[in-house]
Amino acid sequence: MRFLPALITGKAAGFAAGLIDKSRGTNLAGAAAMKIDPQMLSHFSGIDPEKVLFITGTNGKSTTNNMINHLLRSKGYKVVSNIEGANLITGIATALIKASTPAGRVDADFYVFETDERYLYRIREQLPAANMLITNLQKDQVQRNGDPSYISRKISKVIKDFGFRLFLNADEPRSASFASFGRETVLYGVEKNSLSFTKDESFLTMPCPKCHHRIVFDYYNNDGLGSYHCDNCGYATSEPDYKVSNVDFDNGTFSIGDADFSMHHRLPYMLYNYASAVAVAKELAGMSEEECAEALRDFRNVGGRVDSIDYNGQHINYMRFKQENPETLQNFINMIADDPKEKVVVIGFGTVNDFDPHYINSFYAFDCDYSGLIGSNVSKYIFVTDTIAYDAANSFIYGGVDPEKVEILPTSDEEEILKAITSTGCDNVYLTIELHRFERMKAFAEKGGAL
Amino acid sequence: MIRIAWMYPDTLYLHGERGTVMALERTAAAMGIEAETDRIDLGSGYFDPMDYDIIFFGPGELPSFETVISEISAYRERLREFMDSGRVLLAVGSSFGLFCRSIGLFGDGRAADGSCSVKGLGIIPAEALEREYVYGDDELVDAVYNGREMELLGNQIQMMDVFTDRQDGFSSLGKVRYGHGNNGSDGLEGLVYRNSVFTNLTGPLLVGNPWLTAEMIKCAAAASGKEISGAEPDHSLEMKSLELKKAFIEDKAK
Repeated sequence: MRFLPALITGKAAGFAAGLIDKSRGTNLAGAAAMKIDPQMLSHFSGIDPEKVLFITGTNGKSTTNNMINHLLRSKGYKVVSNIEGANLITGIATALIKASTPAGRVDADFYVFETDERYLYRIREQLPAANMLITNLQKDQVQRNGDPSYISRKISKVIKDFGFRLFLNADEPRSASFASFGRETVLYGVEKNSLSFTKDESFLTMPCPKCHHRIVFDYYNNDGLGSYHCDNCGYATSEPDYKVSNVDFDNGTFSIGDADFSMHHRLPYMLYNYASAVAVAKELAGMSEEECAEALRDFRNVGGRVDSIDYNGQHINYMRFKQENPETLQNFINMIADDPKEKVVVIGFGTVNDFDPHYINSFYAFDCDYSGLIGSNVSKYIFVTDTIAYDAANSFIYGGVDPEKVEILPTSDEEEILKAITSTGCDNVYLTIELHRFERMKAFAEKGGAL
Repeated sequence: MIRIAWMYPDTLYLHGERGTVMALERTAAAMGIEAETDRIDLGSGYFDPMDYDIIFFGPGELPSFETVISEISAYRERLREFMDSGRVLLAVGSSFGLFCRSIGLFGDGRAADGSCSVKGLGIIPAEALEREYVYGDDELVDAVYNGREMELLGNQIQMMDVFTDRQDGFSSLGKVRYGHGNNGSDGLEGLVYRNSVFTNLTGPLLVGNPWLTAEMIKCAAAASGKEISGAEPDHSLEMKSLELKKAFIEDKAK
């Protein structure tokens, strides 16, 4: 009874939001509609659960969603998706409202939804889905998630209660441990390559998801992902069904099966996005690896974590990392370490403002390995932002960075930060800072005017 | 030389608390006493607490607690002896709960009513109870340790609340000026027995609060009759950080 009024309200809200700003409103229609019909997702008709995929996990959900959409649409399939990244239940409702007829019927070939790990159960209660892809389960958003096992337990309950065909990362111990819970499991992974690395024993790994003893990583392809084993219970990496191999970062190429791929983004963590997307495209839509390779040739990850500014003859490489998330910080460090040229590194940790209360957290920096960075010709480190500059600097100094190379500038003023960068005279700069501050810096640099 | 036992580091592995072990080593070196750390892994065999001056337990995941408690139960009496000797046992974050009488956990067939609790080591007069929702925030504490008054500032990623009882020899680590503390209601943070500390504070605790680190080194050295030749290292960077963070906390507390 409530569904049709909710749908009409949602469509009207979505239309209004689009008139005001087309880039907004990815939650608005769903939020408005679900106030009227809180069970709205369960009332759409025409959706075949076998064609529904949930993408969940800590890192890489949006990129994987983008890539799977790109692949399926390249083949002419109609896909309903929350590709804008609104991954709560209202974001999914918004996507379905937009795609449905006035009677609430949805007619698409596939339904691909990025889903927040914490709301997965509630979403699945309303929207039957036969497929789930898990990117990885890492330390992230500790303020609400506490630790990875907290999320792992939530996902495990969804899988056990509802049953799924699972697409799992073979190189990530927590999510791979779900393999026995799925009604069918497809594993994806990445072969050891030129950017694989090891960490010494002073760095911690993680408890085995089976027995809680120590997991040993033989090597990492990305922080937290690689070849692993547990000496106590024998749990270890399984051979993946879809494996990225023959990785050549210099030429931007790799293989999956017999197909050769090229990649625009030469970033190690993106190899996992490629592997999982190809697995889904083949298993769900019957696309061959060769078709996937052709379709992904022109793939660009819009809204990814990497960007740059050219300012006063200086090239500023930007990489966004997620607060509270050591893996994405390590990716930034590794990206810098991979560049042998002289450089200045600018680090701006922010306070964590995702939820109330806002708080200070820099402890994830102690999980990172700075040894590659230290040996990579960094002439100066500048630590900025008004609350955490000293703590951030201290964590890098603990990691082995020479205090003599450290400048601490406890300000979040974007113009002052740009001035400090300019004063170094170095044309090769690496910067990480909150996205909104970077965007203001970029706007300033591009316009050459006031912020 | 000061010997440090780092307990089950890959199981009690959360919140960057490896930094606390690094802080102990660095501070000891700066104070003129060498420190050596042994990793004690689950199933690693022989371990005698009395071979060490400092024993450190970092925060871990609740599902691992039964395994950890099963392993350290064998050392329960030697751990009490260790604490009685005035050496330093430091348990940070959720590891606080390991030493309680019981730990009430949700999920996996366990209930919060106590009937399905995990039995803790029972070394401290306290009960732990898993929280329904995680509570994450800053915490500022007015503390006294080894007779020295100090401010302690860090994070709380509170997976469980701790309810302490009065018992001779035990006192709280300090009073909460901002934050949740042991349970959000009694205004107390942590528990101290002689020089051993059980606390919710992370950060890493001993990186952000080097004044506590220095006192722990002094206590550990004194308990085993070892001499310290140097002064405390310069804390100016950490002091500047403390002032910035206090300003942030005061602002949000308004």
